[in-house]
Amino acid sequence: MTTPTLLEMTAPLRDDFAIPYHDLGPAGERPALALVAGLHGNELNGIFVLSRLAEFLARVADGREPAHALRGRVVIVPAVNVLGVNTRSRRWPFDKTDINRMFPGYDAGETTQRIANAVFQATRAARYRVDIHSSNLDFEELPQVRLYEPSEDEKASALLFGLPAVIERRTDQVFTSTLGHAWRGAGGESFVIQAGRAGDLQLPHCERLFRALMAFLHHTGLVTGIDLAAEDQDTHYFGVDRTLSLVSDHAGLFVTHVQVGTWLQAGALIGEVYDGFSGERRAEVRAPTAGLLSGIRRQPLLYEGDLIARLQTRTPTGSEKQVKGQEQ
Amino acid sequence: MEILHDDIVSLALPYRETLRVQRTSFVGGGGPRVAVIAGIHGDELEGLFVCHRLAAWLEQLAASHPHALRGRVDLVPAINPLGIDTLERFVPVFDADLNRNFPGDAEGLLPQRIAAGAMAALSGAALVIDIHASNIYLREIPQVRIAEDFAATLVPLAQGMNLDLIWLHGAVTVLEATIAHSLNSTGTPCLVVEMGVGMRITPAFTEQLLIGIVNVWRTLGVLAPDLELPPPTHTPLVADDSNVHYLNAATSGLFVPDIEHWMAVRREQTLGRIVSPLHGGTLAAVRSPVDGILFTLREYPAVYEGSLMARIMAV
Ligand SMILES: [Zn+2]
Repeated sequence: MTTPTLLEMTAPLRDDFAIPYHDLGPAGERPALALVAGLHGNELNGIFVLSRLAEFLARVADGREPAHALRGRVVIVPAVNVLGVNTRSRRWPFDKTDINRMFPGYDAGETTQRIANAVFQATRAARYRVDIHSSNLDFEELPQVRLYEPSEDEKASALLFGLPAVIERRTDQVFTSTLGHAWRGAGGESFVIQAGRAGDLQLPHCERLFRALMAFLHHTGLVTGIDLAAEDQDTHYFGVDRTLSLVSDHAGLFVTHVQVGTWLQAGALIGEVYDGFSGERRAEVRAPTAGLLSGIRRQPLLYEGDLIARLQTRTPTGSEKQVKGQEQ
Repeated sequence: MEILHDDIVSLALPYRETLRVQRTSFVGGGGPRVAVIAGIHGDELEGLFVCHRLAAWLEQLAASHPHALRGRVDLVPAINPLGIDTLERFVPVFDADLNRNFPGDAEGLLPQRIAAGAMAALSGAALVIDIHASNIYLREIPQVRIAEDFAATLVPLAQGMNLDLIWLHGAVTVLEATIAHSLNSTGTPCLVVEMGVGMRITPAFTEQLLIGIVNVWRTLGVLAPDLELPPPTHTPLVADDSNVHYLNAATSGLFVPDIEHWMAVRREQTLGRIVSPLHGGTLAAVRSPVDGILFTLREYPAVYEGSLMARIMAV
């Protein structure tokens, strides 16, 4: 069987360019689930997990996993930005555009508009759609579902992944050009998942993400016979006013010992900022309130205003501010 | 006339250094204040040279006609100084397009702090001119780009800028985060000039624009009404989304144009070819879809399928 492709194109000198995908389960049906990763070529956790999941589902579909059955069509694109993966680039390497700023795309437009259009057309009809990201090189995210002005159905379904946090955010201007936003107009339910940090393959996050996708396949009835015996900890739902972004007032070197997924007490030490020339400690960064550490800075070089950490709180933070990263 | 130097933004870098967004101000009487900004993308240098030429012109004016400056002129030639210093289009480290971070946030990430500082420094001006130089891929004829929402205010100003083209375009949500949109929507007129090509300067375009800028300044009362200026030499055509045609590459290879920039072209005329360095033949001929004038021409020869090679305004 030949591998299906979303899009095929010539390239100036290397091999021709194609975006391969996995098309599993009953052919010709409307897809029940579409899973996309690697819109950014350096976000490897999602690519690894989706390729491993495709391997499992292919065995189920072929009858090589007799305890399981696949009940719907699943479309899996482990990596959209194929050349970006091969050249370790977040963006489309040729013209440096961000594919996730090109949606819904245009089939007669620029290269990345054509790529966006192909991804959107192949996934829009799916009942459930998931776009997986891994923040950027500087920041590590606890595996989490992000919802943008969700429907009631999406709020309920987001809990089925069993990830430690479901976090609601408001849409903004940048979000309107993403795949997650393009899907909103297509009916069905869509989810953005963040897991870990770009440029790295973090096995604990990958395992957590794999279990989350298996749990979703189980709860939606798409795959039967999945044993969720090793159930993960509780999922917490955080509304738009339950995110606190900690921002640095200082430039310098940032050091930290904390791990994402930890519940911090008010006043807990998150990290310290040092002057890289004099060696003096400039600041201590402490949790202003109790909360779940959903993201932490991993890049030590710190500018004024840089995001240091995100806390998810049980009570309203009083701050509606969303600090923008470049994470999706 | 007084000449002042200061910073509109000053931010500590992680190790010792300070990022400064520098401004030169020419202060005459109590008349209107205008500004010219450039270098929002670190690979666009045409506007930096325009600022140099305007500074030279104003320094000369201070010597020859010390009272002819009735208002104030601010030049901010490099809003993205880290990008210019490192030959990067975006804000280095943040990989952020500075012109998608407006109106900014004085307590946000570095690109947003720069944006907020620029907004504070420019708001209230009688006119801000934001000079862009396309990118490294495309060469543009000197033109002004105006969002239709602001056409009533901006087109009359743009008519006097001595450029070849005014391009009116419809609303695009992501463009709301540009400096021009942020200024125009809060009552400070801002004209976006596009000309030339990334990483180069085109002195002939600079001189053409300089004439337009000083004439518009005189009209606004920044310069004395009786100050003699070189008269404009260009009258712009007006393009919009209905008459602009895009030529995207049908295949990947090297684009070799057969025509010159800013030439009248006929429908079906061959504008160039896409060839492969591996073969002697032509992969694709590039033909004009309409009778018109070619105002964008690809400068960077390698193309991917879909790469823009030219824009033509039907006439
Ligand atoms: Zn991403």
